[in-house]
Order: sequence, then C-alpha cells, then structure tokens
Amino acid sequence: MKTLEIAIKDTLTRFRDWKALAGMLAAPLIISAMIGLAFGGLSSGEAPLQDIPMALVDLDQGELGQAYYDVLTSPDLETLIALERMQDAEAAKARIESGELRAVLVIPAGFSDNVIPDNEGNSGTASVELYTDPAASVSPVIIKSIVERISASINTLLLAGQVSGEQMAQYAPLLGQEMARLGEAIGAELQSSNFTFEDPPLGLEVVTTGEDEEPFDPFAFFIPGMAVFFLMFSMFEGSRSILQEERRWTLQRLISTPTSTWQIILGKMGGTFLTGLLQFAVLVISSSVLFGVSWGNSIAGLLIMVVLTVFAASGMGAMLTAFSRNENQAGVVGSAVSLVFGALGGSFFPADGLTGIVNIASRLTVNRWAMEGLLALTVERGGLADIQLPVLVLAGIGLVTFVLALLVFQKRFVK
Amino acid sequence: MTQPILQAQDLHKRYEKVHAVQGISFDIQPGEIFSLLGPNGAGKTTTISMLSCLLSPSEGDAIIDGHSVRKDADAVKKVIGVVPQEIALYPDLTARENLVFWGKMYSLSGAHLKQRVEETLEIAGLSDRANEKVENYSGGMKRRINIAVGLLHEPKVLFMDEPTVGIDPQSRRRILDTVLELNQRGLTVLYTTHYMEEAAELSKRIGIVDNGKLIALGTQDELTKLVGESDAVHIGISGISEPEALLARLNALSDIHTAAYENEALLLQASNANAHLSEIIGAITAAGGQIKSIKVDEPNLEAVFLHLTGRALRD
Repeated sequence: MKTLEIAIKDTLTRFRDWKALAGMLAAPLIISAMIGLAFGGLSSGEAPLQDIPMALVDLDQGELGQAYYDVLTSPDLETLIALERMQDAEAAKARIESGELRAVLVIPAGFSDNVIPDNEGNSGTASVELYTDPAASVSPVIIKSIVERISASINTLLLAGQVSGEQMAQYAPLLGQEMARLGEAIGAELQSSNFTFEDPPLGLEVVTTGEDEEPFDPFAFFIPGMAVFFLMFSMFEGSRSILQEERRWTLQRLISTPTSTWQIILGKMGGTFLTGLLQFAVLVISSSVLFGVSWGNSIAGLLIMVVLTVFAASGMGAMLTAFSRNENQAGVVGSAVSLVFGALGGSFFPADGLTGIVNIASRLTVNRWAMEGLLALTVERGGLADIQLPVLVLAGIGLVTFVLALLVFQKRFVK
Repeated sequence: MTQPILQAQDLHKRYEKVHAVQGISFDIQPGEIFSLLGPNGAGKTTTISMLSCLLSPSEGDAIIDGHSVRKDADAVKKVIGVVPQEIALYPDLTARENLVFWGKMYSLSGAHLKQRVEETLEIAGLSDRANEKVENYSGGMKRRINIAVGLLHEPKVLFMDEPTVGIDPQSRRRILDTVLELNQRGLTVLYTTHYMEEAAELSKRIGIVDNGKLIALGTQDELTKLVGESDAVHIGISGISEPEALLARLNALSDIHTAAYENEALLLQASNANAHLSEIIGAITAAGGQIKSIKVDEPNLEAVFLHLTGRALRD
C-alpha cells in the first residue's frame, strides 16, 4: 500500500509539472505533426485531384481500345485525367512504382475481336487490366470508378443487342459524346446480327502494383516513433527523481519512517512506470483524435505493447540511474542514451534497412523492439501473433533491468 | 531516576577514510530536551542519523524506548520523529498534501490521519495556508512544516537536527517556542545545534561534540564550571603579521588561561578580564595590531568549547 502511495505521489507530482508535461506530451505531438506535414500533409499524401497521371497501353488497337481512349480524353475528363499512350505495359507499371503515374489501363491484344460478336453472332469474354498506385488512396478509386463505368457502358451496349443512335444520344451527357457515337456504331452493327449473351462479355481486372499494402501514413510511423523517443526521456527523468529525493533528503526521511527500503524503491520505480503508462495512453488517444492515427486493429496487442514498452523503458531508466554516481550524471547519461536509442532504434526513420554492427546495436535498444511491435500493429495492421518477438524481448529487458536496479538501489541506500 | 528513553552506547561510525563518530555515549530521560552542541562537521548529524536508523553504527548500539537501532529498527522508527536539517518536503505538493503523504508513510489513515494533519498544521501555525504549494512558502514556513511532519504520528522522541539553520530571527523564535511547548506536553527532544544560545535556552543537559567525540556532557552549570570563573574575550583585530608572537605574549600575562587567534579574531579566556584589558590592548598594539571590536562575556558554553578545544564554536 505504501508502495502504491509513493507511486501515486510521484505520478501526481510529475503531471503537475508543466515543464515535464511539455516534454512528455506536447513535444511528441508537435514534432510528429511537423514531420507528418513535411512528409505529405494530413491527407493521404496525394497531389490535388486534377491531372491525375495515367497511361493507356492499347495492345488491342481495335474499336473498343479506341473507345476507352476517347472517353478518358473527352472534355469531361480532360482536367481530371492527364492521359498518355504507352506501348509497353511493363514500362508503364514501372512508372507507377516510381511515382510518376497513378494508374495504367492495359487493353489486351484481341480485346475487341473477342468481345464484339462476329457476323454469326459468336463472341467471347475479355478483361481490361487496371494497375494503380498503392501509395495513393483517392485517385485509384476515381480511376477505377471511371474505367468501371466505361466497361459497364460497353457491356450494356453489347448486351442490349439493339440500340439506336438516338437512344444512345440521350446518355451522351453521362457517357460523353464519344461513348454515344460508339454505342450508335455498335448498335448498328448488332442490328444486322442475330446473337444472345449469357455472360457480360467485358470484365475489369484491377491490380494494385507493388506490395498489397495500405497507403503510407506518416503519422502512423512518426507518432509511435516520437512516443517511444519521448517516453525514454521521461522514464530516465522519472528514475532520476530517486536521486533527487536523496539530495533533498526526502529519501532519508522516507527511510526513517516505518517503510522498508524495498517498498520505497518499488514505489519510486512504480511511479515512473505509472507515469510512462499514462503518458503513452494520452499520446495514443490524443494522436487518434488530433491526427486520426489508427493504432491498429488489435486492442490487446496495443495494450501489451504499451505496457511492455513502458516496463522496459522504465527498467532501463532505473538501472542507469542506479549505476549513476549522482543526479547530474544520471541526467547526462539519460539524455545521451535517449538520443542514441532514438537514432539507432528507429524512432526517427525505419530501422529495417540497418545492416551489420549498426543493426546489432539497434537491436540492443528498447526503441527498436518497441517500434517493431508498434509498427506491426499500426502500419502492418497485425495482431498478437505479429508482436510475439518484440513482446518477449521487451519483457526480458524490463525484467533484467528492474531486478538489477532494485538490487543496486537496495545496496546503495541501506548504509 | 527513571529508565532513560534513549541510551546511546559507544556509537561509532567509520567510513573508508573517516572515523566520523568515535564512541559517543549519552542517555536521555523521558520528557527531557537534550542538546548536542558542536560546530559543523563535529559528528552531530551522523549521530542523529544512526539514532534514526538511517545509518547503521559501525560499533555500539542505541536503545530507544527499549528497542535496539541495530536489531529492531522498525520498532524504533515507530517511536521516533525526525526533523532533518534539510527541508525534506515535496515542493510541488501543498503543505496538506505533504502531511497526508508523510502520515501514510507512518501508517496513519482515515479520520485519524485527517485529525493529525489538522493538529500539526495548527502547531505549525499554517492552517490557513495549508493548501498552498510548499515551494511558495518562506524559509521559516517550510521549516515549520518540516517539523510538523516529524510530529504527525505522535512520536515519543523527536530528533531535531539544526532546525533553525538559515531562517530569520522571528521564525527562529517561533520554532524555539514550539519546541518548548511540545516539551511541556511531554515530548522528549534530541536537539542538535551549533548555536550556543539555543542549546542554553532549550536544554537542561547538553553534550558538546567535536571531531566525532563527546567532549563534555552535563547541565549548563556543570559545563561552565569547567572553565572556572573565566570570562570569554573576543577581540576583532587587523594588522597582525606574527600571531604566534602575540599569543605567546598574551599567554605570559597573569589570569589569561587560553588565547587563540583565527580569522582576524583573538579569543581569550581570562579571569577578571576587565581588569586586564589595558594589558591585552597594549600587547596587541605592540604587535602592530589595530583593534576593531572588543566583547567580554561571562562564562558560557562558548567559553567551555574554547576551553576544551582551543577553537571558537562557530568555526
């Protein structure tokens, strides 16, 4: 009970300190916001919705391929879509990867011949292929919608069998003059034939290039990064308070009360842990509200990651403080370790690409494991199964550092 | 005589290179104010820290209310209250929050805790400002709350380690009055100070500590008798280039018992000092010195300390 009282007192003291609050809560949110905006704003990182760069690879060279081109370059769409023709589908897809294009529509060879019935009324089915940019969230949806509409219109015309030019004309404002003319031509051709369709002849195959991933949200990376980075600072600062109490003689006064040294040390470490837990919780909630950051789909996973990240960070802070000669040394060491851990551990940039000794050093930091676990939840939308290793490592770091700190503090304060 | 409530028995504290306390022994009777008087660094705080179970004695023991500080620290901690020399409070918390927290550390709770908080605030005279943060208090107010914390659990013995250091005379007077009032209510007090006047005013018995040793112990009368009828003479001087020669000349005068020179001050113990002032002044002038001030005191604890150590208490 006394342990809890000490922990609550420490947490209360910390949250009453405006300077500490600025470092614990305001700084990570502000810095994340600045970095997030620099990396593409509060939206999904797309350019304004006009002149969406798109390529048409018409391997068909038939009437229907031309129809897609005509509609996509019609006056109704000319400000929305900046279409260019390309011959090589692979080269076009590569330009999506490089970010030059948002979408590529491929009309396969023989597309028109397959779909348009011959003189005997025989026809087959075929699909166009639409490739879109996974990093964009809005423009692929628009392009897909337009291509679907064109395809559906052609389907309708083919299925109807007999459509007069006059009838098609009334749909011109919706489909564009080119589509209306196409309908008139197809309708005339079909009137001379005798055929039935069992299935829609035209299909659309939408392919997202690259990995099948969510659009990159800078906040989903930087908010956890900054949260862990500033958590380390506040955990070192919190742990340092035990030496501050020694300097102020409140620690000696505590020892002079009927309270065991274990209770006092556990209370102090518990206070730091509780402070970190509240700090992280506030950051999770406020970043969700302010920046719409999604912390993943696994609440249990997030809870476990937050608790163990704080456990490991506070344990590390307690251990370094326990081995520090005095409060000042603990402050200097704590700040230095926080910065190094932040840089190595992936709080500022993804640590996935690190190799060699830097990668090994990175894996010795709390930040690295915390980021791996948190990003598995926030960016990769993973669950409990995806955070097993970070959970184990963070629990191990926390346990070892806490026990070491307890033993050293106990030896240090019982004279 | 009743059983002492506190018995310090040959207490020693050794550090790697320092023997900070060298065999201090004394008893304190229930209801007594006992002062340990000595200069800074004499070993007073180390002694009180061993009695408070903050430091483990290297040798010896202390029995407080029947409990050994070595063997039964928990029982000792329940009967002692500690007022450290430092302001051992949380500045970010209010006075009331501080008292509630410390009360809980003494296992107080509920209505009893609330009652004791109000009572100690009353003793400190700070009931009306109890909800202000301690960091906004004056030095004297902080000292009073520092004392109030030590009283929360109604201890049998209160240890006060230089509680008037660094405060204004008015606050100091208030604290001394509080100590006397608490003692009148039956509280036993162990008081350490380097102010002779405080020890003289508060205590019937005084222990004089220097260099880790208890060099004298007794009532004020018993102690002053150690220096006989000597007066203490303080002379502020300048321009002395060879103090040793001056001291030799003064020591040669009749009725001068001890003479010491430190920091442009001459300290003498002399019988009937006023009658010898002209000779003393003559010696100083002959040595090239210029007199800035002269003060002659009747025999007191300062004289006792000078008599026993050859040094002034304030040093």
